[in-house]
Amino acid sequence: MHIHSSNRGPQDPKDRPNDFDIWITYETILKNKEISTPLAAILALTELVERSDAGTMFELVKALNDGAKVLNERTPNPIGLNAGCELFIAFVTLFPHDSDSFSDLKKELVKQGQKYATEALTYREKIAELALGFIKDDSIILTHSYSRVVMKTLLRAHERKRISVYVTEARPRGLGLRTHDELTAAGIPCTVVLDSAVSYVMDKVDFVLVGSEAVVESGGLINAVGSNQIAIIAKAANIPFYALAESYKFHRLFPLSQYDLPTHNPNILAFPLTPAASSSPNSLQNKNPSIRPANGNEATPEQSRSMTREQIACNPDVDYTRPDLITLVFSDVGSLTPEGVSQYLVGMFAG
Amino acid sequence: MEHSIPNAPKSQKQMTKAERREQQEAQRAAKAAGKAATSQPGASSSTPTPTHRKNASVTGKAAQPSAGTPKKLGKGTDGKQVKGETKEGAHPHPPMDETPRGLRIFSHFGTPKPPAVTKGDIHPAIIRLGLQFAEFKITGANARCIAMLTAFKTVIQAYVTPQNNTLSRHLMTQLSPQITHLVSARPMSVSMGNAIRQLKLDISGSDIDLPEQDAKDALCDTIDNYIRDRIILADQVIQETAGKKIKDGDVILTYARSSVVEKVLLHAWEDGKQFSVIVVDSRPMLEGKALLRSLTAASIPCTYLLLPSLPSVLPHTTSLFVGAHSLHANGAVFSRAGTAMVAMMAKSRNIPVVVCCETYKFAEGIRWDGVSKNELAPTPFPLTSTSNSPSHHNSAIKMNPNLSILSPLYDLTPPSCITAVVTEVGIIPPSSISSIPGALGRATIGA
Repeated sequence: MHIHSSNRGPQDPKDRPNDFDIWITYETILKNKEISTPLAAILALTELVERSDAGTMFELVKALNDGAKVLNERTPNPIGLNAGCELFIAFVTLFPHDSDSFSDLKKELVKQGQKYATEALTYREKIAELALGFIKDDSIILTHSYSRVVMKTLLRAHERKRISVYVTEARPRGLGLRTHDELTAAGIPCTVVLDSAVSYVMDKVDFVLVGSEAVVESGGLINAVGSNQIAIIAKAANIPFYALAESYKFHRLFPLSQYDLPTHNPNILAFPLTPAASSSPNSLQNKNPSIRPANGNEATPEQSRSMTREQIACNPDVDYTRPDLITLVFSDVGSLTPEGVSQYLVGMFAG
Repeated sequence: MEHSIPNAPKSQKQMTKAERREQQEAQRAAKAAGKAATSQPGASSSTPTPTHRKNASVTGKAAQPSAGTPKKLGKGTDGKQVKGETKEGAHPHPPMDETPRGLRIFSHFGTPKPPAVTKGDIHPAIIRLGLQFAEFKITGANARCIAMLTAFKTVIQAYVTPQNNTLSRHLMTQLSPQITHLVSARPMSVSMGNAIRQLKLDISGSDIDLPEQDAKDALCDTIDNYIRDRIILADQVIQETAGKKIKDGDVILTYARSSVVEKVLLHAWEDGKQFSVIVVDSRPMLEGKALLRSLTAASIPCTYLLLPSLPSVLPHTTSLFVGAHSLHANGAVFSRAGTAMVAMMAKSRNIPVVVCCETYKFAEGIRWDGVSKNELAPTPFPLTSTSNSPSHHNSAIKMNPNLSILSPLYDLTPPSCITAVVTEVGIIPPSSISSIPGALGRATIGA
């Protein structure tokens, strides 16, 4: 996939165009639905290499690190992006420099980067093919939220076998509904399950299949919030829990707990500083008027309420699933146990 | 060994067996006494202690085992005796014996004792080191390894290649008795073992054509590089990496004293992180006190408690940092006795357990329990009732021929209790230990 960025800004000040370019480039690349955040990061950094005027490897790596930092700061969800950045920077650093001129080396790097991206788009196919062997006819599958690689696998399985899918609503973003629409359109029987009804449905399920934001050094999984709950319930019910992840999502991060994630900040799940804050009197006042009409009219006895925006903001977007809860990780490098993931990562990045 | 259980009426059968055993022991004692190069200060005949290395107390009592006792010998004889004894144990009321007994179980553990007679040419630096090891003046895997390597440098410099010999072949034969002497003082640690293996490799690879002084200097440089790269620099990387896992407001639990964990905590504090530390300690070693001293000197807020009070502080703990004596291929951590308990309790309350360990401490084998190979700590109790009580003995414990004190120095923490291992190549889960050497291009673990 060759992307030529339309933003050929002024070349003079070194920092500005790069800063400007890399974020815009990244967003432009992301517009393509098929490309996930780590891949987009790799492509954006490849672009940076192409346009960089660094004269030595040291300068180039420094420019790459700066670019990665910019991307990290501006994105709301840094984990996947970070995985891609680190992979590309490690690749660049370990690339053999036997070309004569530095510009030749840069051209080679760019070529490799784009080749990798093209190949990476086939990873989802590979994973779908691999996971197919684990899906039996008449399987009932539980999945969480929306994941492109899971979609591909389910659609692939549907071509040859009969499957039915339960998908969780995945609040607050409600991406599970999107999964439901797409599966139903393809003819796969699909039901949306409340996030709180997962344990209710678990005994009906044959196995759980989820996508991932990142797979970490411990062998654990970082995915949309709710994955950890599903994994714990699956473990308690002795249902296999499979994670699908492309290899560029493998990250050297090692969270010791939920609160050790880079996405965790003190605001998440924090108690309000003053209980009698301005929000509560308002809500009390809101309550009273709503109660009176309900009592008076008896029109809508149960009005379901939703969380306010501020309340949702106090909640996490992703959570961490421990490796002992995961049965297997399917990746383009093969099907790995969580311990195997760590051995793969150590082999790739250590030393 | 005879039973020290108070007897009821003696039966003929057991009497004879006991007598037979007494004979056996007397013969063995005579043999051992005969083998001894220098004089055995008259302990052999009066008590059966020569066959019981365990009876020696740390203060270097007169009752010393015979010379040149590598652990194997003791294991062989005492192991057999223990077996026979346990079979005997099925019979009730064996004859009571007034003489003090050694350990009935775990007699294969290494005991602390000052090194016995020195056979051959032992360099004074090594003799001094052996004494320091035996008296537990130098403890800790890193400290022992660095001290040993530094002593070896002195030995190498003092070494003179004899005629018609090459340094690369002969030096090792010189070093072997030194190593044996150190091992007799205290069993070798895994860190020391790995360092020695590397040293042997370097010596045998030493260039034959180099003039002697150059070769010796090159070897000393290799030793310095080993210490610098595998220990000092590795510790610095570990400080950085583990420091990232410490956040403001954390309460860090640690056990006894690990040199690496101490460095991690001090470094994180210098970095400006605000945290507090809980130091858990236990007898007989009470090494936590030294750690406490060093942390409070840096003004880190600390709490100190003994192991039995651990459950009360666990609800307040954020994470547990421990060091290791060695790390095994199956991910198990061999560390100061008590670490396993602390790790298990922490893990059961979902507190992350972080082990800080350099890669040179990795051991090739797999270990499932702390019993197969262990050491005894220098206890404050006299091991036998015949020994006089030095100052640190607890006079409240009345010695009894029926009482033997068992105080292992190490225990094994299973990999299921460990969340993460911080090494100089990064943070890894314990199951991945075996993949590190491959990644680093080394042939074996701990190379």
